[in-house]
Amino acid sequence: MYDIVNGLINTTFGWNWPGWVIALISHLLVTTLLFAIAPFQMLFLTYYERRAIARMQDRIGPNRVGPAGLLQPIADGVKMFTKEDIVPAAADRWVHFLAPCVVVAPTMLMFAVLPWGPGMVPVDLNVGLLFFFAISSISAVGLLMAGLASSNKFALLGAMRAVAQMVSYEIPAVLSLLAVVMLTGTLSIVQLIEAQAGLFISSADVPGVPDLGLGWFIFTPVGLLAFIVFFIAALAEGERTPFDIPEADSEIVAGYMTEYSGMKFGLFYLAQYVLNFLLCAIAAVIFFGGWQGPGVGWLYDRAISPANPDGNWVFNLLAGFLGVFYLLAKTYAFFFVMVWLRGAFPRLRVDQLMDFGWKFLIPLTLVNIVSAAIWVALLRWGPEQGITFTQNWTPILRWGVAFAVTLAVNIVAYIALARIFAASQAEQGRIDLDEYRDTLTATLR
Amino acid sequence: MATVIQIIFGLIAALIVGAAVMVVTVRNVIHAALWLIACFFGVGALYLLLEAEFLAVVQVLVYVGAISILILFAIMLTRQVTGEGVRQLVGGWRLWLTAAISALLFAVAIVPTVISHSWNVPAPPAPPGTPEPLAGVAELGRAFVYEFLLQFQVAGVLLTVALIGAIVIAFEERARRRRVLTLAEEHELRKRLAHPPPVEAPAGEPAPAPRATPISEGEVQQ
Repeated sequence: MYDIVNGLINTTFGWNWPGWVIALISHLLVTTLLFAIAPFQMLFLTYYERRAIARMQDRIGPNRVGPAGLLQPIADGVKMFTKEDIVPAAADRWVHFLAPCVVVAPTMLMFAVLPWGPGMVPVDLNVGLLFFFAISSISAVGLLMAGLASSNKFALLGAMRAVAQMVSYEIPAVLSLLAVVMLTGTLSIVQLIEAQAGLFISSADVPGVPDLGLGWFIFTPVGLLAFIVFFIAALAEGERTPFDIPEADSEIVAGYMTEYSGMKFGLFYLAQYVLNFLLCAIAAVIFFGGWQGPGVGWLYDRAISPANPDGNWVFNLLAGFLGVFYLLAKTYAFFFVMVWLRGAFPRLRVDQLMDFGWKFLIPLTLVNIVSAAIWVALLRWGPEQGITFTQNWTPILRWGVAFAVTLAVNIVAYIALARIFAASQAEQGRIDLDEYRDTLTATLR
Repeated sequence: MATVIQIIFGLIAALIVGAAVMVVTVRNVIHAALWLIACFFGVGALYLLLEAEFLAVVQVLVYVGAISILILFAIMLTRQVTGEGVRQLVGGWRLWLTAAISALLFAVAIVPTVISHSWNVPAPPAPPGTPEPLAGVAELGRAFVYEFLLQFQVAGVLLTVALIGAIVIAFEERARRRRVLTLAEEHELRKRLAHPPPVEAPAGEPAPAPRATPISEGEVQQ
């Protein structure tokens, strides 16, 4: 964006404005664009979810406002705006007011590091991936504020549940990403995507693989396991069924949102859908190559970029469109899976949620980190790191051996951990008759 | 550019100091915790101003995302103990003693740094060949596993000990408490007590026998 604005002002018009003005203008433009995109994503996703879940439940869903009900979210938005804003008399007014802002602001900040297409990233931080998850953890504070300030039992219960769930599932999410970070050796999201060029084999691993933009991490055993764990953790962080315990409407009204109405409730709603969109998008970016896909790399090679300053701007447009198309297609596919799970599964109990996160997902990610280390050692390391037996192997042989070894490790670990987990759950569900006999016989008489 | 940086530094410093003052002066404990979060956030912004991106992000991840949550949970669980609206938990000479000890501890940490630090701003250009300052992820990681390995390991062992201690405490709590039965389990238990199954497992049975009497989850679902 900086290059475009710079070219337009200083080269085309010849005004010779200083660099910081141009940086300010371009960043303001990008921010405005993103702030406009986020609510529209939310509007579209609510419509998408309602239509999809309706089809699964053999209904039609919203179809009255606009063509095929497409304007329904806008009607809902108008309804939200015109509703009365009610603050409970016993509420802590300032904290009650600030809580929705603290929940929404991090989700907007997370857009700052999300790449939309080749060369289309608002800020390329060198710790972008960590930034994304650090910022997302702030919204837990906002949820707790909402629960505490409402002075309502259900709100407090919902906030406690939400925060406990977010804090526990952050660990498997970040640990599963650690495996991917080990594969690439970078925390920058842009470099993470660039490492996923190739055709089923990443061209970063085996040089000379044809670049069709399909060298996604999901095609490696390490990436596959990391993706499964990450997606489950993302469901929990986005409070989607089967992990919608914080706002279980059949148990605790609406959780931390109970005492909110009007646009404050709308902000919570917005934050939730934007967060779901972002989690789907980041899953697509990390494991499915983001904007990578057949044709994007070829087009971007011919476009204007820092590596190739005398390209053609038409290719910039084409590569951008194709990249955004691939990213959004993957994101919406993941969101469809989320809706599908909502249509298919009942809600978990709190203790099941905690056991599953701490006793199954975290050990699984730890094993996955070990197999990521094996993968890196077999593919990248040479005699200087002390690995001598692979130095005469061809790259493709190294890749094959690494694939086989990590696949074996991951499958064995999964089966063993699943058995241990099932056995421990069965043990926990068992009732020791002697322990309960006294109390129960007493109550029966 | 330098003046812009200085203005931004002044704003962030004012935020940090103001938030810190609010932490120790507001009456409501929860408000104090929220001001503390604002203070943590300001420190993160300060790291960002120093171009230590990784430290800034970790500051937000650890302090804002985890430790402040811990503080808020602790406040919620001990609300009855501390009491609302009490400005200080101790009074009289004890208050002054507490203040003196805290000030002394802080001085022990800060005075040697202030005295030994050479305050030449901006820093003089380093001679060629000096290593890069510890800012990036890779440098920090390398320093942890080569230079400061002992400290790193000690911190890790300390955290593990704390974790095990927490688990031990939780187990003791659980041993004193009975698990709450679900309705289905209670129903099943009552049924079994009313009509005891013919195969009561005696003490000396082989291994698969205990499975016959207790209720596993699968059975409850049936």
